[in-house]
Amino acid sequence: MTVRAGLRGAALVAALTDLVGKDKVIGTREDLLIYEYDGAVDTATPDAVVLPNDTADVAKLSRFCHQHDVPIVPRGAGTGLSGGAIPVEGGVVVSFARMARILEIDAPNMRAVVQPGLVNLHLSTAVAPHGLYFVPDPSSQKACTLGGNVAENSGGPHTLAYGVTTNHVTGLEIVLSDGSVVRLGGKAIEYEGYDLIGAFVGSEGTLGIVTEITVRLTPLPEDKRTILAAFSTIDGASETVSAIIGAGIVPSAIELMDQLATEAVEAAVGAGYPLDAGGILLMEVDGLRDGLDEAAARIEAICRANGATTLRRAATTLERDRLWAGRKGAFAAMGRLAPAYYVQDGVIPRTRLPDVLRTVREVAQRHGVRIANVFHAGDGNLHPLILFANESELEGVKQAGLEILEACVAAGGSITGEHGVGMEKNCFMPLQFTAEDLATMGRVKAAFDPAGLANPGKIFPTPGRCREFQLAARR
Amino acid sequence: MSVAAAERIRPPDAAACARAVADSAAASRSLRIRGGGTKDYLGELLPADAVLDTTALAGVIAHVPADLTVTVAAGTRFTDLRAALAGAGQFLPLDPPHAEGATIGGIVAANSTGFWRARYGGVRDLLIGTTAVLGDGTIARSGGRVVKNVAGYDLNKLFVGSLGTLGVLVECTFKVLPRPPVSAGAHAHFARIGEAFAAADAIVRTSARAAALAISGGPGGDWELLVQADGDAAPVERTLELLSRAASAHGAGAQRHEGVPAVLATLNGISGRAEGTVVRSALPLAAQTAFATSAVRLEGFTQLVADAASGIVRVMLRGEDVVVQGGCDALLAAARVCGGSARIERRSDSLRARLPAWGDAEPAGRFLMRRLKESFDPRGILEPGRSAVG
Repeated sequence: MTVRAGLRGAALVAALTDLVGKDKVIGTREDLLIYEYDGAVDTATPDAVVLPNDTADVAKLSRFCHQHDVPIVPRGAGTGLSGGAIPVEGGVVVSFARMARILEIDAPNMRAVVQPGLVNLHLSTAVAPHGLYFVPDPSSQKACTLGGNVAENSGGPHTLAYGVTTNHVTGLEIVLSDGSVVRLGGKAIEYEGYDLIGAFVGSEGTLGIVTEITVRLTPLPEDKRTILAAFSTIDGASETVSAIIGAGIVPSAIELMDQLATEAVEAAVGAGYPLDAGGILLMEVDGLRDGLDEAAARIEAICRANGATTLRRAATTLERDRLWAGRKGAFAAMGRLAPAYYVQDGVIPRTRLPDVLRTVREVAQRHGVRIANVFHAGDGNLHPLILFANESELEGVKQAGLEILEACVAAGGSITGEHGVGMEKNCFMPLQFTAEDLATMGRVKAAFDPAGLANPGKIFPTPGRCREFQLAARR
Repeated sequence: MSVAAAERIRPPDAAACARAVADSAAASRSLRIRGGGTKDYLGELLPADAVLDTTALAGVIAHVPADLTVTVAAGTRFTDLRAALAGAGQFLPLDPPHAEGATIGGIVAANSTGFWRARYGGVRDLLIGTTAVLGDGTIARSGGRVVKNVAGYDLNKLFVGSLGTLGVLVECTFKVLPRPPVSAGAHAHFARIGEAFAAADAIVRTSARAAALAISGGPGGDWELLVQADGDAAPVERTLELLSRAASAHGAGAQRHEGVPAVLATLNGISGRAEGTVVRSALPLAAQTAFATSAVRLEGFTQLVADAASGIVRVMLRGEDVVVQGGCDALLAAARVCGGSARIERRSDSLRARLPAWGDAEPAGRFLMRRLKESFDPRGILEPGRSAVG
C-alpha cells in the first residue's frame, strides 16, 4: 500500500468541516464503518466522507485534497462489484446521495441531463411518459446510480442488442483531481476533438469525478416477447446460445442460469423456473410488434432442436416481469444457499461458453466450493458466483475466481465485462495486457490526474498489493 | 498536396511499423499516415517529411462467425473486409463515405460514418479492440476480441476520429452482425424542409430503428426523405408504412424505391466532390430543422444532406471565396448556438488558408486532449497539426 504523507484522520475531518460545513461531513469512526465496503469483498475505512450538494462543492473539495495530498474516491450507491468505491489508500469518500436529481428531461432531443447520484431505474421511470427509456439495465438498477454506471461502464441483460453505458452517454461534466471543472460533449451525438467521454466512461473514478451526465434516451419498444427455455444440462443451454446467434438471430437479451442458481431464485423470488433443469435460458426479442411472434417462434424452434425440455412464452406483462424478477433478483437470492458469495465477471467469445463452463465446474471441484452461474450468455459475459460461509475461506475462493479468469483470458476473453477492475482485479491486469499496454493506459491516467489522487490503487497493479500475485505468476 | 514528393514507408507488419515510427521519432521526421488516400481533404494537411503507407498491413486476422466479431489488419480495404464477411452471411454495419477505396484504419481514424449510425452505432460503438503504434514506437493494445470488456481504459475511443495524430492503427476488432433477411427502401418528397425533418422525426420516435433516414435537397426547394429499413419482412413493411403515414401527415406521398442504397452512397460522397465547400455539423436532433432552414437561405447554398436520425447535417456551399467564407462562418456559429459542433469538412485550396478546418472555437477539454497528444506522440511527428487538437 502506498503511504502518502498528506492530511489524514481527525485533522482531515476538522479541516473538511471548515471547508464545506458540518452538515456535509461524516467523520466519526462508527459512521465511517458504513463506507468501508461495497458490493464486493474487499474493505477499507475512509478518513472522512463528504456529501456535496453541487459541482462547486466537489471542485472545492478536490482542490483541497489536491493541496493536502488526500486521495478522493467517488461513491454512488455502493453496489459495485470490484471494490471501486473502497478507499484502499484512505482519504475522502465523496458520496453522491445529495446530488441525485434529474436536471432536465429533453424529450425532443431524446436526452436527459442528470446528477450522478440518480438511481438508474428512476431515470427510466421518469422518462417513460415520453415513450423513452435509458437502455443500460444492470441487475442492481433499483439501487445503483448513473454516476456509478458511468464509472464502471455498466451493462445489463439488454445491452446485447443495444450497447452498454458508453454507447448511451453524450455529455459529461467532470471535476479533475486538481479541482478544475471540465464540460465535455453535450446533446449532439459527437463533438470535435478526441473522444474524452469515451475514455472517461469506465475509468472507475481514476481520471476524475463525474458531476453531471447527459444520456441518450431510446424509444420504448412497442412490444416484447420473453421466452424461457429449460434444458436438462447446462451444455445444452449454452450450445443453444451459439445456435441462435449462428442462425443470424440477435435477440435483445439472452440470459443463462444453472441449476444451483435456479434453486436459489425459486426459493427467494418464485419466478416459476423449472427446478429440475440443468440450464435455463431467458430470452427476449423486442421492437415493433410486427414479426415478433415469428422471431420468437424461430428461437423456440432452435431451442426445441437443441433439446429444450420446457418452453414458455410470457403471455402477459405480469408473467414477463415475473420471469425477469427471477433473473434480476438472482444475486440477492444467493443468501438462500450460503451466507456469502464472490462473483466473477469474465468474458469469453460466445462460442467458447460450453468448454469454459466445464472449466468452471472443474475449478469448483478442485477447490471444494459450490459455484452458481447466472450470466449474460449472449455477450459471453460469465458471472460465476462462488459461495462461501466465512472469512477463512475467502483466500481459497479468490484463488478459484482467479483460475476462472485465467481460463477466460486463455479463451481469448477479458477479466471483466461490466463490473470493473477496481481493487479486486488490478493485480490480474497483466494476464490480459502487456507492460506496454498498461503503461499506455498510464499515460491517460497521468494526463487527467497527474497527482495520482483520483481513486488510487484501482485498475493498475500496485507494487505492494500485487507483489504476491506477480511472484505466483512467475512460478 | 505534395504526397508524391515525400519519402514513402510501407511496413509489412506491426513490428516493422513500430520500428519505422520509432526511427522517425528519433529523427524528428514527421509522418503522414495514409491508407487508401481517400480523405486528404480532411483537417489541416500540413507538409510531412514522409508518408507511412498502411496498405501492406492487410488481411482478416480472425473471424469466428458465431462470435460476431472480426479482427482485421488496419490497412485492409473496407471492400475486402465486406467481401470476407459476406461469405459468412455477415456485415460490418458501417456505411462510410468512399467505401470503395477506404481502408479500415482510415475509416476509424476519420470516424467515417454515413446514415446507418442511429440503427447500428457509429465507429466508436462497433470498435471493440485496437492495436496501435504510438508516436514513440510503443505498440499498445486496448480492448480485445470480446463484445463486452471493461478491463482498463477504453483507448479505442481515443483513436476514433483522431486523424492519425495519436497513433498508427495496425489492427482493429469490430462487432459484426448477420446480414438482415430483408432490406427495403422508400422515399417521399416535401416542399418544405421542415416537413421532411418532421416526417423523419415521427419515425425516429418509434422503435422501428430504421437503418437510414436521410434528407437531401438543393436550392430548388424539393426535399427528399429516403428511408432504408432492415430486418425481418414484417417490421420492414411496417417501417415503410410508418413513412407513408408520416409523409401523408405532411401532404406528401411515399413510394417504394429500389435504388435507395445507391442514392445514399452518392449523398454520402458529398464531401469527396471537388467542386464545393462542405460544412459538417453534429446537432441535437430537434435543432436540425432550424439549422437547415437557415442553411438553405445562405448565398451559395448548393446542397444539404442530413442523417436525420443522428443529427448529422452536411451543407455544401459554392461561389466566390468571400461568399463561401461568410456562409461557413454562419454555419459554424449556428451549430454552436444550437448546442452542437461543426467543422469545415472540405474546402477549395484557395480557401484553405482563410478557412481553418476546425473554425476558431476550441473543443471543450482541449487542454486534456493536448496532454494526451503530447504523451502519445512526444516528438509530435504524427500528422502534425491535422486534427482539432493539433
